[in-house]
Amino acid sequence: MAVEAKPLETAVPLPHAEEDPREHLMFDPRPREVMNRMVMEAMTTTSRRYWAWVIGLALVVLVCLLGAWGNMILTGMGLAGIRRPVFWGLFIVTFVFWIGISHAGTFVSAILRVFKAEFRRPFTRAAELMTTFALAAGALYPLIHLGRVWVFYWLIPYPNARWLWPNFRSPLVWDFLAITTYLLSSTIYLYLPLVPDLAMARDRTTGWRHALYRLLALGWRGTEAEWHRLRRAITIFAFAIIPVMFSVHTIVSWDFAVGVVAGWHSTIFGPYFIIGAILSGVAAVVSILFVLRSTMLHMDYFIRKEHFDALGKLLLVFSMAWAYFFFNDYLLTWYGGEEAARRILTLHATGPAAWVWYLMLICNVVIPWLTLWNRTIRRTPWAMFIITLLINVGMYAERYTIIPLTLGHQRMPFDWGVYTPRPTEISIVIGTFALFLLLYLLASRLIPLVPVWEVQEGQMAHTLRKVGKAEVPSVTELE
Amino acid sequence: MGANVVHLALFKETEIDHAAEAIARLRELGVSDHDISVISGIPYSERILGRPMTWTTIGRIGLAGAVVGFLVAIFLSFGTPLLYPIRVAAMPFQPIPTSIVVIFELTMLGLLISTFIGVFVETISPSFGPRGYHPKISDGHIGILFSSPAQVEESIHATLQALGAEIVHNVEEERLWP
Amino acid sequence: MAEERPAKWGLVVDLDRCTGCNACIVACALENNVPFVGEDEVAYGRALYWIRTQRYWEGEYPEVTPTFQPVMCQQCGNAPCEPVCPVYASVHSEEEQINLAVYNRCVGTRYCANNCPYFARVFNWFDYELPEPMRSYLNPDVTVRRRGVMEKCTFCVQRIVRGRQKARAEGRELRDGEVQPACVQACPAEALVFGDLSDPESRVSQLARSQRRYHLLEALGTLPRVTYLKGVGNHGG
Repeated sequence: MAVEAKPLETAVPLPHAEEDPREHLMFDPRPREVMNRMVMEAMTTTSRRYWAWVIGLALVVLVCLLGAWGNMILTGMGLAGIRRPVFWGLFIVTFVFWIGISHAGTFVSAILRVFKAEFRRPFTRAAELMTTFALAAGALYPLIHLGRVWVFYWLIPYPNARWLWPNFRSPLVWDFLAITTYLLSSTIYLYLPLVPDLAMARDRTTGWRHALYRLLALGWRGTEAEWHRLRRAITIFAFAIIPVMFSVHTIVSWDFAVGVVAGWHSTIFGPYFIIGAILSGVAAVVSILFVLRSTMLHMDYFIRKEHFDALGKLLLVFSMAWAYFFFNDYLLTWYGGEEAARRILTLHATGPAAWVWYLMLICNVVIPWLTLWNRTIRRTPWAMFIITLLINVGMYAERYTIIPLTLGHQRMPFDWGVYTPRPTEISIVIGTFALFLLLYLLASRLIPLVPVWEVQEGQMAHTLRKVGKAEVPSVTELE
Repeated sequence: MGANVVHLALFKETEIDHAAEAIARLRELGVSDHDISVISGIPYSERILGRPMTWTTIGRIGLAGAVVGFLVAIFLSFGTPLLYPIRVAAMPFQPIPTSIVVIFELTMLGLLISTFIGVFVETISPSFGPRGYHPKISDGHIGILFSSPAQVEESIHATLQALGAEIVHNVEEERLWP
Repeated sequence: MAEERPAKWGLVVDLDRCTGCNACIVACALENNVPFVGEDEVAYGRALYWIRTQRYWEGEYPEVTPTFQPVMCQQCGNAPCEPVCPVYASVHSEEEQINLAVYNRCVGTRYCANNCPYFARVFNWFDYELPEPMRSYLNPDVTVRRRGVMEKCTFCVQRIVRGRQKARAEGRELRDGEVQPACVQACPAEALVFGDLSDPESRVSQLARSQRRYHLLEALGTLPRVTYLKGVGNHGG
């Protein structure tokens, strides 16, 4: 009798919204038809505000980028603030910045795909688009910064009349090869998983859009052979593009590290740059996702708090890794005690432009470390937007510290010099930011921004299983 | 076989079990695997559908491209300095460390581009099996295209409908690509 | 005609003798068609000097003495500027053992200038017009450079070539001191001495063996062809 004393109180789990697995996109499936309609609507709906932005950005590109650049080509590089001894300035800083941003797409889409991180599914395309357009913006800079851009083709290896080839011992030629490889392969990597979605758009449109998607979808029907082929190609790409991604930013870092410049000649520069690139890239993905989520129709279904949460954790890890590499680079230079290099470190921290150095540390380390450990902050999209924008400000400051601030104070004190950017440079930099945004805006209304088939595939693999009284998430391996 | 008309059985996205069952039934009714092709809005592996494995040459095309890229890189980094030798600093004309960078990039470029070319060529080259398409496929439906001799048509249709399929008779081949 | 010995041209700068008069800079500019960039640009650090006099102050004010150090391209044997150029605009000359700038090939990446530890390279930020009647003074032996091109001291390679051709035409070897760059020729204090370092008897070789010798930033291993003779305190200015 004593044993069955009282009936147990029913254990009702607290209605924690966050604990509900249905909060995750993968456990909140909708019929494919509905998802298709949502994506199509998001793609075809344009507001007046959208067109105002498009026109505004197009004007900025026209005036600030093409206008200022054209003027600089006709007048001379002197319009930029660079001078002896700082021969590289904002152009190279922004070049490194864009190439860094471009690492996000590959990271999110290839590395997370290889490791089967399911939260990647709805935003792989948004990240890949970012890669392609950041590369398009960044690849302009090697041209912009050339003293004689009209002979840029001398850098391309082709059999010319004099049989003179480029110097394959120069890191700039490696840069050219690496960026070409990365731009082509990331564009293809964007396109391949897009084909089934283009076929979906083809079936749902008329007029010029139909003609366009019909052409781009390559007659996709979805046969077994087509899927098999696509999967094989995506797998090859996902594995092969990862080392390419690593090589690209390593080679960008070698532009600096192979030189004899004090403060550049460091063996840690390769991984240090890669970590910085991934940090800034993933941060930019978060910023972009926030904008997409808050401006495009139905995007709040696909892009959820869980994604900000997951990316926030990644960002915290990368911020720590960045700090580790930064410290590595700093400590060894400081300890090594070479006079010139040590003076540069002192100058970074106490010189007239020390605020740039502190801005870098605050934005890349202090802010992420203070905020991103917190789940509530990670799940607040606008807070993540601000934090990630600041991380990118910090990464820009990092490149600014490394390039002009280091070049200005080399081994011969007589030749020290300070660099200040001039309006032409600043205008061109703003112009490429506008170009990136403009391309992104246009693309967001031209291609389905969510890989619907990948989302559906993921939702099919995820089910809620009842184990005892709890519904637990379970994943099936479909491939 | 060419005279046979192509029919399409559409299953809802949740009815993958029925679709797989339908393929098995078709086979029992004497429709060979060559006369069946499955089209779907998301990838289903052959194991799920109980179909013979498909094959593709993309891997081999990619590998061939990588070899081409490798050879081009060898020529550029070791050949061109001989065509027009120019001394820079104290470096040899054909330094191995710097060549590794060039070789890596161009090999990868060759691999990736030719993989894409492989996809493209295989996509536009003629395929076997019954052809046809229905816009519902991109809505997630699973479609089974089959061509059957006229005498068994009745029984096939009855079987498929029992499994919940929506049958589209006489699917016309649509030109989906210019 | 005797087989020509490949020369290894070098320069000795005797800091004890340098008075900081800057005559070398003027002579160099006239010889090499170096344009004038105007006051503002010079003040901003865009002067196109191929040779410059670095002036340092020694001591605490008011007890200060200036020291002068003329710096030009050091014509490194292992030049950091050369391998980084993507288009072979900065190459090593096997014949003169100096570092050549190929103006027509330069696309203006400015990588070489960053990588030169001596900052001996200057860039044409704009097209510079020489005022009349200076245009008539242009040296026909030296290319004029347009905007977007790197340039630097060449040890007046045009004079080396001309001297060699003359000697060859006369069927003799070059005499020591026969070829002089403009800066050496103009130096009133004979602080600059130019010649063939591969000839142990030449004046420049003898001076370069002086106990006062040193090279700029020797630790970098660039093997400069310019030797400095340390000033021992008897400063002229």
